[in-house]
Amino acid sequence: MMNYYDHFILPFAIGVTVLFTVILYKWIRWFVRMPQEDRRLVLRGIPTRQTLGAIGEVFMESLLHRRIWRVNPLLGYMHTSLAFGWFLLIAVGWVEASLQLPGEIIPLHAHVFFKFFAPEVDYGITGGLLGNIMDLLLLFVLSGVALAWFKRMRSKALGMQRTTKHVLGDRIALAALWFIFPARLVAESATSGLKHSTTFLTGNLGEWMVNTFGTEAIMHFSVYAWWFYSIVLGIFFVAMPFSRYMHIFTEIPLIFLRRYKVHSYEKAKSFDRFQIEACSRCGICIDPCQLQKDAGITNVQSVYFLRDRRYNRLTQEVAYNCLMCGRCETRCPVGIELNTLRLNSREKFAAMPADNRYAYLSSAADRSSGTSKVGYFAGCMTLLTPKILRAMDAIFKAAGEEVWYADKDGGVCCGRPLKLSGEVEAARRIMDFNRDLFRKHGITTLVTSCPICLKVFREDYHLKGIEVLHHSQYILRLIQQGRICVEHGHNSFTYHDPCELGRGSGIYEEPREVISQIGSLLEVDENRENALCCGSSLANIAINDAQQNRISQALAHELADTGADTVVTACPLCKKAIARNASQEVKDLSEVVAEALGQ
Amino acid sequence: MSKRVIVIGGGVAGMQTAATLAGLGIHPVIIEKGDRLGGKLLNWHKLFPTFTPAGEVLDTLRRQLKDVEIMTNTEVKRIEQSGVVLNDGRLLVSDAVVVCSGFDIFRAEIKEEYGYGIYDNVYTTVDIERMLNEGKVHTADGHIPERIAFLHCVGSRDEKVGQKHCSRVCCITGVKQAMELKELFPQSEIYNFYMDIRMFGPGYEEMYRQAQEEFNIHFIRGRISEASETIDKRVQIKAEDTLIGRPLKMTVDMLILIVGMKAGASNDRFAENRGIELYPSHFIRPRNQFVDNICSSAGNIFYAGTVTAPKNVGESLNEGVAAALRVSKYLED
Repeated sequence: MMNYYDHFILPFAIGVTVLFTVILYKWIRWFVRMPQEDRRLVLRGIPTRQTLGAIGEVFMESLLHRRIWRVNPLLGYMHTSLAFGWFLLIAVGWVEASLQLPGEIIPLHAHVFFKFFAPEVDYGITGGLLGNIMDLLLLFVLSGVALAWFKRMRSKALGMQRTTKHVLGDRIALAALWFIFPARLVAESATSGLKHSTTFLTGNLGEWMVNTFGTEAIMHFSVYAWWFYSIVLGIFFVAMPFSRYMHIFTEIPLIFLRRYKVHSYEKAKSFDRFQIEACSRCGICIDPCQLQKDAGITNVQSVYFLRDRRYNRLTQEVAYNCLMCGRCETRCPVGIELNTLRLNSREKFAAMPADNRYAYLSSAADRSSGTSKVGYFAGCMTLLTPKILRAMDAIFKAAGEEVWYADKDGGVCCGRPLKLSGEVEAARRIMDFNRDLFRKHGITTLVTSCPICLKVFREDYHLKGIEVLHHSQYILRLIQQGRICVEHGHNSFTYHDPCELGRGSGIYEEPREVISQIGSLLEVDENRENALCCGSSLANIAINDAQQNRISQALAHELADTGADTVVTACPLCKKAIARNASQEVKDLSEVVAEALGQ
Repeated sequence: MSKRVIVIGGGVAGMQTAATLAGLGIHPVIIEKGDRLGGKLLNWHKLFPTFTPAGEVLDTLRRQLKDVEIMTNTEVKRIEQSGVVLNDGRLLVSDAVVVCSGFDIFRAEIKEEYGYGIYDNVYTTVDIERMLNEGKVHTADGHIPERIAFLHCVGSRDEKVGQKHCSRVCCITGVKQAMELKELFPQSEIYNFYMDIRMFGPGYEEMYRQAQEEFNIHFIRGRISEASETIDKRVQIKAEDTLIGRPLKMTVDMLILIVGMKAGASNDRFAENRGIELYPSHFIRPRNQFVDNICSSAGNIFYAGTVTAPKNVGESLNEGVAAALRVSKYLED
């Protein structure tokens, strides 16, 4: 048996050992610490179709990086060439090594240094073919490295206005990664030249090197070249599990777990680690962040938040400085649940409520009366924007709906603001009160005009038997059932998608359908999933009013550019925020409908 | 030939500036966007703390402007080194400009939670001045109000509407109008909801005490959080009495919002001139707040009145005199 050992492979061998030891340790630890129900989901999911789906997704995302192609094709190509190219180098390299190297047992590392160990590098037809394929693959990866260098200088050409500011560990790993493939090219070429290979890249380059510098010089040089190649590989592998490159291996189990329906939720848990360490710090989340664009805040974006959380240095300031608008989440190529992770990082900072703080949640807090099939929960913000309340009144009246008003004479908050600030337990007490209230008054449909309330009713109230509707859905239904008539006029409207209604609850069509029954709808450039936030989000309690206002101004400007007569939105908070800076009239959807009510 | 000075705005500050300039032998031109001189005072009833009719003050000022050139229904678009450009594009050449364009009244509709423009019986202090002038103060359906609530600081010291500053004169306005309404309706209960009462002028504090001791007007420390309309069109308000730490609810016949002073909308246009700077509040920032508090960084542009900050009538009148004297000194040099 041939000896596949030389001293220079040591850095590589140590690197690989450290890498897999650390990764295995992390994976096992995270998995073991997962709550029972999460582990059960995984075990139940393994023998299902989801496993096959996950394998396909790993191929599409971890290797091809399909989602990054959507951000920018050049950026997509860069990621594909690095990930898929390297993968193919390993896979084809194995084939090449097992076919070409003598001996029965070919150790796993032999393919990495194939050209060094092979006696003749393009032996036979397969050898020549494989050698050329390997050269082609190396060229493929090198083109990705070249793009990565180019991106450092001109990120805009790759569709990114701003890129991540990396920490030292990431910079070391990044530098090592940049050197791996050029080092491989040089080392392989030197050896190819000495062994008279004829492959198109390393063969020709090697021949040129030998002809130019002489055989003896290249013989000496090749030793250093292989050492260098092994060292940069070793450095990269050691740095990998501690740096951003941990994402390479973490995204794979994440894809499987996600397929098995494991999710993060309002309290932190072990599964979060799979999401946090799957972040590659690509920085795609930076550009869409309005805190960065409009308020000049540059250290709180999801990439930095996840980094800080991963290294246990998350500050309250970063955790709370987020609008939770979800614009970054829709773009994240790894599909990390950024809003949920932000939310559940806040709990440890939240104050414990005093025992008597919720003493008011007695039956006396119910100031409503009567029972009805349809309940209307205005919400605090609607009570502060009485035009909406009036409009809803007119609509209910026109439809002949008997309505139980949950909070017209004062009610209890829906609980979402508390939840967003991390006070999960306090929020729970409030939610329980309201749920009992809804049950007590016998409603089967719950309408709200506030998307903030809507989201929490839908996701946390578990209102079995009660259909929860946003007023946009309810109004559309009334129109479709012919219970109210609206007149189509000559006004033009533009519509602002509230974060909690659009990205938060997936309601995009209903408000648009209602508006198009009343007038013409002019869309802003960034709408639906990409809609801007109004800046007044309850989720951010770190920014000041001036910063909120700058975000609102940018939005008002976009809306004004449509040239529409009226700005329509479907959230009382958005309405107030936009109205501060709007040049046109700003109305809630219900107001527009109430004004268009026909006979 | 006498030098020509453009005075932007024909309110009290502009009138006083022009009158003083004319007295110094300088040729002032008042440019007023409305159809007559007088500015906000045209709509005011009586002035605190002396209850002097606003018309009396205006008459005195008008008498001093007999030979002054006045352009009404004219608006200034921008201020340049050589003069001002009007909205119709004309350039009016002058040797100096005094900006007396005043303030805007905060639009109470923005505080939608108070229901102005939505509920019939929510008014602003501006509405009350007009109603007092017309001699018709009553609820929307013509009744005599039995219970009236004033709310201080609407559009003042309120970050949420981008008005961080104190408008100063609203506190005393609220006290004045409360007293006037009490005189009209001696049987009525009148409440003032405030967060601080700031009585900065001569005689103001005395008037505040008089309102409480002689007029029996109630002062409750706490802002109103929201208002709603009852079936009989009265206004139900929710507030907190922060001195006793209790929430309270009250139904009133009239809710009067004491609206603050907002920086004039034209200030942003004027600030396109490099010599004119703005405070974050968008009021114009003078070169410095002490010895040059009526001067800009551009040598021939001066300020008087509320264009630089909320002020009362007396202060604005003083600045008119001061600005005119500085202009005259500038023109001599």
